[in-house]
This record gives sequence, structure tokens and C-alpha cells, in this order.
Amino acid sequence: MNKLTLAIGAVVLAPFIGGLIQGFDRVLTARMQGRKGPPLLQPFYDILKLLRKERVVVNSQQILYAYMHLAMMVLALFMLFMGQDALMLLFILAFSTLSLVLGGMSVRSPYSRIGAQREIMMMVAYEPILILMVIGMYLVNGNFRLQAVFEAERPLLLSMPLLFLAYLTVVMIKFQKSPFDLATSHHAHQEIVKGLTLEFAGPCLGVIEIAHCYEVAFFLGLVGLFWLSNFWIAAVLMGGVFVLSLLLDNLCARLTTIWMFRFMWSVALGLALTNIVWLYWH
Amino acid sequence: MPSAAPTQLWLVVALICGPIIFGLLAWLAQSERTRNILVITATCLTALAGVALAVQGPFMLQAGPGTGHLGDLLEAVMVAVVLGIGYKQKIWPVFAMGIVQAGLVVFEHLGKGAESANPTFILDSLSTILVLIISIVGSVIVVYGIGYMHVHEHHAPPTTASTGRFFFFLTGFLGLMNGLVLTDSLKWLAIFWEGTTLCSFFLIGHDRTPEARRNAARALIINVFGGMSLGFGVALAQHEGGNGSISNMVQSAALLPLVLVVLATFTKSAQMPFQSWLLGAMVAPTPVSALLHSSTMVKAGSYLLLRLAPGFVGTNLATVIALSGAFTFAVTSAIAISQSNAKKVLAYSTIANLGLIVACAGIGTPMAYSAALVILVYHAISKALLFLCVGTIEQQIGSRDIDDMSGIMLKMPYTTTIAAVGMVSMMLPPFGMLVGKWMAIASSGHAPIVLLLLVIGSALTIFFWAKWLGRIITTAYHDHYTVENLPFSMKGALSLLVLMVIAGGAMTGVIYRNYLSPLAKVTMSGSPLANDSSVLLKSVDEFMGWPLITIIVVVAGVVLMALLGLRNSHTRLPFLCGENTPSGTRTFVFRSLMDQPVTAHVSSFYFAPWFGEIGITKWANPVAVLILLTLFVRIGLI
Amino acid sequence: MKDKVRFDKSPWVVHFNCNSCNGCDIELLACLSPLYDLERFGIVHVGNPKHADVLVVTGSVNYRNARVLKNVYDQMPHPKVVVAMGVCAATGGVFRECYNVLGGVEKVVPVDVFVPGCPSRPEAMMDGILQAAAKLDEKRRNPDVPVAVSTDTVVRLPAPEAARPALPADTASALATPMEKIA
Repeated sequence: MNKLTLAIGAVVLAPFIGGLIQGFDRVLTARMQGRKGPPLLQPFYDILKLLRKERVVVNSQQILYAYMHLAMMVLALFMLFMGQDALMLLFILAFSTLSLVLGGMSVRSPYSRIGAQREIMMMVAYEPILILMVIGMYLVNGNFRLQAVFEAERPLLLSMPLLFLAYLTVVMIKFQKSPFDLATSHHAHQEIVKGLTLEFAGPCLGVIEIAHCYEVAFFLGLVGLFWLSNFWIAAVLMGGVFVLSLLLDNLCARLTTIWMFRFMWSVALGLALTNIVWLYWH
Repeated sequence: MPSAAPTQLWLVVALICGPIIFGLLAWLAQSERTRNILVITATCLTALAGVALAVQGPFMLQAGPGTGHLGDLLEAVMVAVVLGIGYKQKIWPVFAMGIVQAGLVVFEHLGKGAESANPTFILDSLSTILVLIISIVGSVIVVYGIGYMHVHEHHAPPTTASTGRFFFFLTGFLGLMNGLVLTDSLKWLAIFWEGTTLCSFFLIGHDRTPEARRNAARALIINVFGGMSLGFGVALAQHEGGNGSISNMVQSAALLPLVLVVLATFTKSAQMPFQSWLLGAMVAPTPVSALLHSSTMVKAGSYLLLRLAPGFVGTNLATVIALSGAFTFAVTSAIAISQSNAKKVLAYSTIANLGLIVACAGIGTPMAYSAALVILVYHAISKALLFLCVGTIEQQIGSRDIDDMSGIMLKMPYTTTIAAVGMVSMMLPPFGMLVGKWMAIASSGHAPIVLLLLVIGSALTIFFWAKWLGRIITTAYHDHYTVENLPFSMKGALSLLVLMVIAGGAMTGVIYRNYLSPLAKVTMSGSPLANDSSVLLKSVDEFMGWPLITIIVVVAGVVLMALLGLRNSHTRLPFLCGENTPSGTRTFVFRSLMDQPVTAHVSSFYFAPWFGEIGITKWANPVAVLILLTLFVRIGLI
Repeated sequence: MKDKVRFDKSPWVVHFNCNSCNGCDIELLACLSPLYDLERFGIVHVGNPKHADVLVVTGSVNYRNARVLKNVYDQMPHPKVVVAMGVCAATGGVFRECYNVLGGVEKVVPVDVFVPGCPSRPEAMMDGILQAAAKLDEKRRNPDVPVAVSTDTVVRLPAPEAARPALPADTASALATPMEKIA
């Protein structure tokens, strides 16, 4: 019962946490660029505004995809806190992203289509690494259920340092940070305007933004999973990853999908595999 | 296992002989109307008999005296037909293999004298599943064929064989497949095996175009090779003291016959390097591809492999089989990305999923085995649905190119929605295919290379499905597409299948718990990893409870909410930098220089230089051959 | 709750260059630089009208781009406001007498705020956008009534209509039809 309360609490709180993280992200980015930046609560203002705007769509399917994106994201978070099977969790996450991709593909806008196809590319690029990470957890704990990770005493980071590094690249992709902000991005719109989310407007876009809050909270939360035994170390880990992602975002240019694919399937996948092989030897 | 009651005997006869006899009548029928009635009778009979047999539960049936000689006769006939085709059509490899087979038959009879054992038929859980798939999904495909062939007759090249003959082979196929999964005697298995090979040869070559002939010949060569391998395996098993039943073969320790039979299953289920015949099979009319890819033919291979799995579990063989299946899965998933031909994408996806089944059979834990069963069942339904949809779309728009399918959602909403459901069922929860893939990956945790191949393949799978799904649901289409108008039989078949997909998705948990998982636990209790697997299985069992139901509820809720949200929404044109043209409201047309309309073309990503068919096959086939050769190395033959 | 939402806290801006000499555009981009930092007001410069609340137009309207301007405006979801940036956008400016120029932005879309200057100063631009954003709430309650107010003393001269050729037929029909009808 306690677990259920925790999970429901997480589902309710996650958008606020995710929103705050994003607000902090924008302030910090502005400071890095020598600007003052928006208020900390800016993401909430944006979302509330979007939800109040006129419901404009290009076709009727779009609403379905936007809601499905959010619902599956919420479900993924819920299952994370319920300690469910980690592999299934990844598939539900993939469902969520795929809904958004289908939403982008369902409209007849070239920008949106290109953005959507890039998003699929990104998914293909990071999916093996996430699965290998889960396999790593299995090899360490002998069980695919996250419950086993919650109960383990030895921090995961000690057994899977390279997988952690590989996971960082996944975080960069999911946070839509350079050099991976290919499908849709807050900063650059010269190339494909807004890409994937171009044709979502008003409340639909608001729903997607909320889902992104969940996404940010979820993936940063997974970072904490690497050192669960001590709250403060986990917090430092999450903070460190967050600042690092911002730093890289401001340092890097956006690169091509092919580059991303090569990088992910060589460097990141290589790191993950090395770690897995190392775990087998133990 | 109780021996069979008289009703069960008649049901078995109806299942095997019924479709063949009615098919023969349909071939002889003069008018199209009579033919259709006969075909529908055949399918109804098969489906009803299949369900009735499944309901009555397991049994064992010892066929009466004299049937043994019938077997000898049929064996001789099959060899003669193979020889005849090889000679007449000048397919010399087939002729040569036919001679070898004839020699084998003669040798066997000389060695053993005139005595020939009567066949046994058994119905256990595994064959029940197969019988249901064949008799229900297969029958639906045949019904679809009625409407499809009516149109096909008018467009087909003048060389085409008669539609009556087509239906004979189509329904006969069902009968032979039923026999194949019901029999327990190796000799009869080989007869049915050869029969399906011949049926597929005639069906693939139905149009008799040069391409169809070529591909049919290739299918025949590869499958007769498999049949020969099976024949040798059977003969060797007898030689080493087996009593000629499959169950005996599973229990015996002799590995060489097992390897030969496994090789035969690889050819039938189109594993690399034998995949080319299944790819070529798509020149045939769509019902044939649907039948070959989903419920029959390729499933014969997977069935036999699953049947034999307890025989090689924990041996050196199992690792190689797992590796070979996983390799096929990863490689063919990659090739599927580069294909723009819809049927080819489906074909590669079939091969990939069969690879997954093979890999699971090789891994051999109870969990992997139940994963294989889940994939076997759900793949049959979903793939049949997708092939029929593609066939329908192809007949309507005159193209099977994925990029041409852009926007058919608006012109053919019925077929497209069904196709979309089919594609979703191939890759997303709560549908069985994903559950199967999930369990396969989870159970491969002990074999790192297999695991890596499965992980990569699984990621690539999402790519080509998502890309295609996105293409058909989009709302830009060519102006010349017309609104669909389907005959009743096609519409009915599609509706039935989509209902089965949705119901199957909603009941994944029930089916898994009550039928597939117990079967796997019993069959694979001998696996050395059975204990580890039980921990994982607990996790799956739990997922089949509330999480699965939650997913279903959430999906249903979202669909409802979206429908409600639709009421107060306003439609606008997409953003094209302010240059939309009123005339191009349904395409990517914008105004450019001098106000002239320009159409933007957005192609899908194919990555041909990376995932190109020829480029990959060039190195993947030799690798696959090497893996297969290690099969023989492992048992110490080389 | 319904009225608590403050649209002026996050005005997203889409910028459309009609026929401008780029003077105003460069100044608008200067607003995004660290010195002025538009984002501190929550203003985001988005690339597409579907996401925008404020349409900033620079330059005068001519026969060719009138249709495009209308299209961009129509694609924005309600509530929305328009800022005419610089003197060209207000009246046609020095290009007012050109044979192909229709005049100010007001000829095509309802303008809410005029920002004078050639080019406008960044401070004036920010002020104009914020004033426009302040109208969003009012517009949401009353979407059909366009409120056109100017911040400064802009002299709006009537364009010499008589000397002009008629609008091309498709431009005229595009201007007459709201985008919702076409879709």
C-alpha cells in the first residue's frame, strides 16, 4: 500500500518537479550566456497559457497522439515507482515517444515529417543502450524487476560505471539538448522550424509540454537509481548530470542524425557492451 | 493421453482430407458461383472441425491397418511428383535431389522388408495451438481469396493458371498443414512436409510469369533440399533404433538425426541463409503470401523446431540454434529498414520473427519457450492481417511502394485503420508480439551475443514499423486515388482478423496464463536454467495482472478523451511558411517563385547504403552458413 | 481559476518580415541578445505561427506578401495580437508611394500596437510587445473584436488608392477567406 501511495504521489508531483527543473534549466542557460533569463516558474506560465489557447489542429488524429504521449509517460513513471519490470517499462516509454512521432507524421507538413523521422532515428539510437542498461541491472540483481534495484544495498554505479556514461548520452537525447536536439528544439528553428511538434498548437502542445516535464523528471530520476542507498549522493549525481547536460548544450553545435547514429552505436553502445561483458566475468 | 473417440477420428479425417477433397471439387467446378460455395464449405468445415477438436481435448490415435501401405504409396507419389517437376521444368537440382530421395526410399524398404508402421496422430497442447491457427486464420485467408481472386483474374497475365486450381492448392495446403501438426510418425511428417512444399511451389508459380516461375523454382529447390535433409534425418533415426515417432526422436540421445531435421526446419521457416525463397514468394497473389507467411508453411518449420526443442535443450546444439535465430532476427530487421516495397518489408519482418522463435527454441528455458509460443500465435494473426491489408491496398492504388501509400487514410479509411491496428499490434503493448519480444530478451540474459543481437534487432524493428505506420496515417495523398470499394468476402475477412487481433491483445494475459505458460513449463522442465527462469516468469505473471489491464484501460481512456476533445477543436492548414495553395489542400503543395505551385516530396528514411539488401546479404549469408556448419562441428561430425 | 491565467507572462512571438529593409529585423534580434534579453519577460521567439501569441510584422505590405501575411495570421490560435514594428509596417513608410505597395500592415490584418521608429529602438520594441501581450487576456474573452491602439503618435496617411492597380484575383480571394474555411 505504501508503494502505491508513493507511486501516486510521484505521478502527481512529477510535472511540478519536471517543470521546476526546466525552469532552472532556462535560468541557468541564460546565466551561462550572460543573460538574466526568465523567472524560475516560466515553464508553468507557458503550459497554463497553452492550455487556455484555442484548440487548433491540422487533423483530428493529432489530439489522440498528444494525449497518448502523456498517458503512456505517466504510466511509465507510475510503473517505475511500483517497482515493475524494467524491460516492460522501456517498451511503455517507447510507446509514449512513438505516439508523439505518429502525431508528427500524421500531418502533411514536410518539417513535421522530417522531425518525426529524426525522432525515430533517435529512438533507434538510444533504445539498445537503455535495454542494455536494464540487462546490466538484471545481471547485478538477478531480476528484471526494479523492486530488486530498490532493495539492493550496493549502489549500481559501482557495478555499471560505463553503462552510466552511456546512459548520459541517452539523457542528452531525451532532454533535447545539443548536439542531439535534432527532432525538435527550443533554441534553433532555422532548419526544420519546430520539427516534430510544429503542428501541435494550443492545448495539444500544452499536453506535450507536460509530458516533457514527466520525461525530464523520469530520466533524471533514473540517474538517481544508480545510487539509491544514499539520498545525498543520488542528489549530487542528478545535479551533476543536469549541469553537465546544460554545459554540453551550450558548448556544442547541433550535429546531423547520421553523426548521432554513428556516435550512439559506436561509442555509447561500445561503453555499454564493455560494461555488460565485464559484468559477465564477475 | 487417452486414445481417440470415434468423433475425434472423424474430426481428424475432416481436418486433413476435408479441405483437400473440397478443394479438388472446387477445381472441377464449372461456374465461379459453385466454386465459391465449395471453397466456403471447405473453410467452414476446417474451422469448425479445428475448434471442435480443440474443445474435446488431447488424444492419441492409432490409425487402422492398411494405412501404413497408404503411407508408402504417398511417399512414392511425392518423390515421383518431385522428379516429374524437376524433369519437366528442367530444374535440375530438384531432379537430382529427387533421385537421391528415391534412392533413400528404396534403400529403406529393402533394408526393412515390407513391414511399414501405421501412423499415429496425437493432439497435445502444442498441436492444438497450431491446429487452431491453421484452421481459423488459414480459413479466413482463403475466404479473403475469393474476393481477391475475382479481381485478380481480370488483371492477371494471360499465362495464369486457372483460379479453380489455385483454390485447390490453397485449401489443400490447410489440410496438409493440419496433418503435419497432428501426426506423430516421422514418415507421415515427411509426407505432409513434402506436400506443403509442392503446394507452395504451385501457388508461388500461379501467375506463370518468368519471375513467378523463377521464384517458384527457387522455393522448390530450397524446400526439397530441406525435405531431403528431413528424409535423411528420419532414416538415420530409424537406423539408430528409433521407433519412427517424433516423441521417440525427442527422447533419444542421437544428435545427428536431430541436426538434420533442424536443418530442414530452417529451410522451411526461411532462416538465413535460406531466406530467399520466402522473399521470392511474394510474386504470388496476396492470399498465398498471407498463407505462407502467417499460418502455414513457415509455421511448419517453427512448429517442428518447438516440438524438438526438449530434445536439444542444454546441449551444444541449442546455443548454435539460438545464435542462428538471433542473427537472422537482427540482420533481417536491418534489411527491412532499407526496403520500400511493402510486401518485402512484411517478408523480412516475418523472417525476423521466425528468427526470434528459433532463437527462443534454442535458449530453451520455460520462459523462452513461452515467448516462442506467444510470438507463434500472435504473429500468425497480425501478419495475416497485414498481408491482406497490403494486398487490398495494392489492388486499390496499383502500387506496393510504401511511399505511394501516403495519405490512404483519407481515401481508404477502412483498410488503413485495420492496417494501422495490425502494425501497432506488431510493436506496442499490450499486444502479444511485444510481450513475446520482451520475454525473449529477458530470457536471453545468459547468452551475451544472442542478447546483443536481439536488442539491436528489436530497436531496428521499431524503426521500419513506425516509419511505415506514419506514412499511411498521414493526410497527404495523390489525387488519383479513389475511395475504396471492397467485396464482402475481403471486408469480412479483414474485419474478422482485426477483431481477432484486438481480442487477442485484450486477452494476452488470459491466453498466456491458461494455455501458453503451462505448456512451456511442462515441455521445458528439463532445461538447466529452469530455476532461474522461474524467477523471471514470476515477473511476467505479475505483469499479466494489473499492469496489463492498466495499459488497456489507459489506451481505451485516451481514445475516448481524444474523441471528446475533438468537439471544440478547429482545423487549420499546416504551416508552409504562409505559402499554402488552396488547390493543394491535400498535398505538400506550396507557392514558390512567380507564384507557381511546387510540390514538396518527403521520402521516408531508408539508409540504403547502410542497410541495403544486397550489401548486407553479401556478408550475412556466408556468416549464416558458417553458423549452420558449427551445428555439425558441435556434434563432432566435422 | 479561469481568469487567473496570465497570458502576458509568456507571450511567444513570431516575427514576419513583410517588405522590410532589415533595419527593424536586426533591432528585433538585438532584443534577444544578452543586453536586452527578451526572455526575462518570458518572451520566446518561435519560428511558427501555430505556437505564437504575438505576431510582429516589420516592413510594408505589398501585393505579393499580403496573402502570406494573412495566412500566417490566420494560422495563429486565438487569442492573438499583432504588433506593427517600425514606420513601414505602420503606414508603408518611405515605400508608401511605390507601385506595388499596399500600405501598412493594417490593410491586411488588425493591428493592436504600432511601434514607431525607423528603425524602432529595441526598448520601444520590447515595450510594444509587452503592451500587446497585456491585451491577450482581453482578447481571449472577446476574440472577435480586434482592438487597434497605437502607443505613439504615428501619422497614418491614407495610401493613394486611386493610382493602384486592382489586387490579383487569387490574392483578393485569399484575403477574403478565413483560413478555417479552406481547411
